[in-house]
Amino acid sequence: MKRWQLLILTSSLGIGVLYAQNKQLLYDFYEIPQSLMVNPGVKTPYKWHAGIPLVSGIGFQAGTSGITVNDLFANDGVDFTTKVRDRAVYGMGPRDEFSGSGQIEVFYGGFRSANRPDDYYSFGMYGEGYSSIFWPKDLAILGFEGNANNLNRRFDFSHLALQGEAVNVFHFGVNRKMNDKLDLGIRAKLYSSVFEFRSKRNSGYFVTTQGDNNILENTLVAELELQTSGVKEFIDILDDTGATGADLQQWLLGRSFFGGNLGIGADFGFTYQLNQNTFLTGSILDLGFIYHTNGLENYTLNGAVSNEGIEILLPEDLFDTTTDIWQELVDEIERLVPFETNQNSFISLRPIKLNASVRHNFGSIGKGARGSSNFDHCSCKPGNSALRTSNLDYRSAMGAHLFMIHRPKGPQAALTAFFQHRFGNLLALKTTYTLDKYSFTNIGLGLNLQAGPVNFYVLADNLLGYGNIADSHYASFQFGFNIISWNDN
Amino acid sequence: MVYGVGLLLSLILVSIACSDEQNFDQFDDLSVTPTLATSIFYLESDEETINLAGSGNFYSEVFTFEAFNEEFVAERMLDGTITYQVENTTSKEIDITIEFLDAGGNVLDTEAFTIEEDPAPLLERQIAYGNGGRSLDILRNTTNMRVGGTNRGDGSSTSSQPNPKIILKSSAEFRFRLR
Repeated sequence: MKRWQLLILTSSLGIGVLYAQNKQLLYDFYEIPQSLMVNPGVKTPYKWHAGIPLVSGIGFQAGTSGITVNDLFANDGVDFTTKVRDRAVYGMGPRDEFSGSGQIEVFYGGFRSANRPDDYYSFGMYGEGYSSIFWPKDLAILGFEGNANNLNRRFDFSHLALQGEAVNVFHFGVNRKMNDKLDLGIRAKLYSSVFEFRSKRNSGYFVTTQGDNNILENTLVAELELQTSGVKEFIDILDDTGATGADLQQWLLGRSFFGGNLGIGADFGFTYQLNQNTFLTGSILDLGFIYHTNGLENYTLNGAVSNEGIEILLPEDLFDTTTDIWQELVDEIERLVPFETNQNSFISLRPIKLNASVRHNFGSIGKGARGSSNFDHCSCKPGNSALRTSNLDYRSAMGAHLFMIHRPKGPQAALTAFFQHRFGNLLALKTTYTLDKYSFTNIGLGLNLQAGPVNFYVLADNLLGYGNIADSHYASFQFGFNIISWNDN
Repeated sequence: MVYGVGLLLSLILVSIACSDEQNFDQFDDLSVTPTLATSIFYLESDEETINLAGSGNFYSEVFTFEAFNEEFVAERMLDGTITYQVENTTSKEIDITIEFLDAGGNVLDTEAFTIEEDPAPLLERQIAYGNGGRSLDILRNTTNMRVGGTNRGDGSSTSSQPNPKIILKSSAEFRFRLR
């Protein structure tokens, strides 16, 4: 097998790229300007910030709730077909998912309004892509074992669910400090879809039973659909032997910058100070849609048919001189269950994400980040909350974070407990323990480093998995560089 | 300085990542060979029709049959069996003949059944192809079938069974190599 084929296989299993979904390490880690992207209402202790173009935010994530790479490819001497059959085909369920995504910020910046110092504006552009494939268990069994030894078993087509896209996002957000206790934020987004494919809400089945007349009867009931936009154009370029890398680049740029399908969306968020040391936060992200009108190619298989082979009934067929009975049978099946393509427009809702957290600060606050001499001086004084809340408000903090996302087979949730600590002006660490469908042993670590105006952050999830990365169910990694000017007090 | 530290930390994280030894070449060993089953054809004739034709041949027809000739099937078929079941509730002995024909009309294989008059037990026959059985090329090259029925009895008797018939059922169960 060629390496690229293997790469495609593993990518299609979702182990390649990642979907920027749960960002529990980044969430409310507000020393990092990118935390505004997961809660536009997060605290903003900056006067302005500028991401280093192309490296201000790079992230990838991959998750598999079923098998791992190690389960299949470990050099353990076990027959590979046996491993696939036992661990994948029969070992996983239809709710097991392979997902992956990647994200890169092209540019990102923000500034505090000179006229309204309570407002912080942020803007930028990033590209992201993701794929999500649920394990089509019944189809896998049908493909692996066949129907001969599975009489009367209904192979359920609803197990088939997949989704993926690449999209370029332009955004502008406003964060406003409403009062000493409340920060609100909103972010408007304009989506330029490069490509998208999705197949969900499928239904139907295939079953083989004892026939009414003949020995066996095969029954197919299908309501399947795969919607795509941009995919066919992409494949056409790849298949075109005359096409060059420049053609592909031109196509990608064209669709990234409003040449594809467009959509709009919004994020909302808040931070509310319950008491001096306790904060509630919440955000809802990607409330929006993309309207797909070009580059469309949709595939459907709808209908129902039962078949017991060619039937010759005498005397009815005695004088039927048609000899192409086989073709008639094929035509009849295709008529009853037509495989069709269309170019119908469709709307794809964005995968809505919900974050909520509670954070409790404790320990001596000590020095803040920039402007910390004032911070240090003022923020420790009870009642001087205006200055306190406009800068970093914790030395140590702990809390919990809930994340939910709407997925093709319903909402998924993750629950995180976190602890974070600042070491003076230079360093802040955040560690998390997360429970979700991928792992019960997900410990993450985030580091924020501030040297003068230069900010660097790195966030890595499921650190225990790095001990044997091939056996990990989940991995994410994110890092970036920013230039930050902190608030004066 | 921060760039350097950032790069260093990233490299540390990547470098501490370990992995058990993986062998991706195992994928070449994957064998996917499902066994698929389907009915092939069904022939039914009532006794009245047989009597109307009198003694001798009462039905013969050639029709296209390209199930095994389809490229996807022909290339991937490994082995399997075709099962025939013949049931006769008429009052006469009957011959059923199935001939596998290629595109030139040449007979590649013949399956003949003789079933006694009622009360005859159900006749079932399984023919293996490939893996020690008959050649799979018979099926791969079959584009037509000739099915014939011959009345070896008289043309007037009637069975005491309700709705007497001669029935031929058939199904195929074959293993395919998808990978």
